Amino acid sequence: MLGAIFRDALKNLSSNMLRSGLTMLGVIIGVASVIAMMAIVEGGQVWLVSSIEKLGTNLLFVWKKRLTIDERRMFAGRNLQLRYDDALAIRNRFPDLKVAPVIDIDGQIKAGERDYSGRITGTSPEYSEIRNSHPASGRFIGTTDIQTWNRSVVLGKTIAEVLFGTQSPIGKEVKIFLGGRKRKKSEGPNGEKKEQETVGEYRFTVIGVMEPKGEAYGQDRDEMIFIPVTTAQRFFKGNDKIGSMIIHVPDRNQMEEVTHKLHQFLIQRHDGVDDIRVRNQGEFLGAIDQTIATFRFVLGGIATVALLVGGIGIMNIMLVTVTERTREIGLRKAIGARRQDILLQFLIESTTISVIGGCFGIILGIFAAHGFGNMVAQSMPGGGDWGAVIKPTAIVVAFVFAVAVGIGFGLFPAIKASKLDPAEALRYQ
Amino acid sequence: MLITLHHINKIYTTGEVAVHALDDLNIEIEQGEFVAIIGQSGSGKTTLLDIVGCLSQPTSGDYWLHGSHINTLPDSELTTIRNRKIGFIFQTFHLLPRKSALENVQLPLMYAGATRAQQQDRAQELLTRVGLQDRMQHHSNQLSGGQQQRVAIARALANQPALLLADEPTGNLDSQSGNEILTIFDKLHGQGQTIVMITHDPLIAQRANRRITLLDGRVLADESTEPQTHPVLQET
Repeated sequence: MLGAIFRDALKNLSSNMLRSGLTMLGVIIGVASVIAMMAIVEGGQVWLVSSIEKLGTNLLFVWKKRLTIDERRMFAGRNLQLRYDDALAIRNRFPDLKVAPVIDIDGQIKAGERDYSGRITGTSPEYSEIRNSHPASGRFIGTTDIQTWNRSVVLGKTIAEVLFGTQSPIGKEVKIFLGGRKRKKSEGPNGEKKEQETVGEYRFTVIGVMEPKGEAYGQDRDEMIFIPVTTAQRFFKGNDKIGSMIIHVPDRNQMEEVTHKLHQFLIQRHDGVDDIRVRNQGEFLGAIDQTIATFRFVLGGIATVALLVGGIGIMNIMLVTVTERTREIGLRKAIGARRQDILLQFLIESTTISVIGGCFGIILGIFAAHGFGNMVAQSMPGGGDWGAVIKPTAIVVAFVFAVAVGIGFGLFPAIKASKLDPAEALRYQ
Repeated sequence: MLITLHHINKIYTTGEVAVHALDDLNIEIEQGEFVAIIGQSGSGKTTLLDIVGCLSQPTSGDYWLHGSHINTLPDSELTTIRNRKIGFIFQTFHLLPRKSALENVQLPLMYAGATRAQQQDRAQELLTRVGLQDRMQHHSNQLSGGQQQRVAIARALANQPALLLADEPTGNLDSQSGNEILTIFDKLHGQGQTIVMITHDPLIAQRANRRITLLDGRVLADESTEPQTHPVLQET
């Protein structure tokens, strides 16, 4: 009998193709959006996690917290800010850790007629080791460079190509000066002269070119320029502050403990003020998981709404169908259809809509996910790895959800049909 | 006694107005009778049909059909009784569209739980009996009114009901087709089938061997012509 009911359902649906098709469209769009949204979020997670892991392993990151105006007033005169001394002190106190201080400078680098504007990183020899990023030719910044504020520079692969083409840059001279906002300011009518004098241009010697590393965490590592941290402070910053620190912990299991100890150590050094953040990769991954969960919730919510709207479409059309077929229901009841037979008949019809819609929706969703993934990849700088990731579970979830919507929203019309009074239904006009 | 209606009342309440559709009605019908229920519109014929057909329950009174005390039974059992003991024939045929004659006749058999093969065998046999052996795959819109009503008769007979209940069976037919239908009724009656037919047409009622006339929900007249009769009909 189930087979007969199912054949009836198909026949009824196909007898009104346009209507069934439009109703299905609601489910198709709903299921497709569930799959596409999930695939995009999934893809984002894969991309972010792999980006973080590309940074290197067992890493801790230290940077300063932005204090509020009140806090700054309250703590005035105390030893705040992250300084080069902090890095040195950590090295003394925790000899096992490798510490690389980092200063980021907006600068411009010039070799003859060619130039490049971008970020210049002041750091120490440890950086190369910590980030697992080594020179392909020449050498990285050495201890002597740090001690003598040497004006030596290590170029990323892309930079070397931009400035020197196919020539080997090793031993060549480049000029570095501050770029970006500071330079714009110097072009203003009043402060022009003074700025130019203090900033100036400095000659640097290229001592190495890095091996290609590709992109990580939204940053193209082949576009990096390294100078000794002390040189950066002396020539470009004029103070002993540093922007952040990257620290390598030898034992993965001690990450949490070291993170905590380091934090306490720095607070102590900063006269008891907690103006720094210490994060390990695990926490980054945790934060990403949270962000992704939020995204999943929001996007999933939107997709769910789309699917629910599809469900309402089903309910709407089923109510119309029940009304149209009142006489048929009356007749069926008169000749022996039980309530559950009628219920099943209409439930199977609405479920058939959602199952067929679900199947098409899966196909459309897969296409949409790939299309959208490509779009994201193209629109994001360095986002080339963000592809849609379609998990089988996502497909199953979307499909089951669609079927549930078909049953859920079909239930009310089906119950309505099954409860019709046979005598009245037979004579319904 | 196949049908016993004992002090049946049926009151419809629509808003504030209560309509006394059946008023203390008492009717008994024996197995094998061919009864016509006659009355003008508003006389209670349709209400009586609904109650006799187990489509609705009386407001009060007792109704026995084929040994079942109908007014005490729940909905689910009424469904079974309609399926097994009653065959309905309607003025407007009530065939399902998008279904062939064969499929329409199969329907009560399906609800009775017969297998597909059983349904088809029985439906073919019934359609042959009403002379539609070469119209089995036709859909209702491909059949004439008379043919549609014959499909409906085949469907009504599907589960060998104790009672054939016809509501103005010739009302939508021309006189020739109508006559064909009544001839089938005569034949069935001759084979011992109990038939209750509702009609407003006294001429058609003449074909029955008992005529009950209703007025305002009461029996106005109950006359039988000679009970032995089904004369001409054996040969059709």
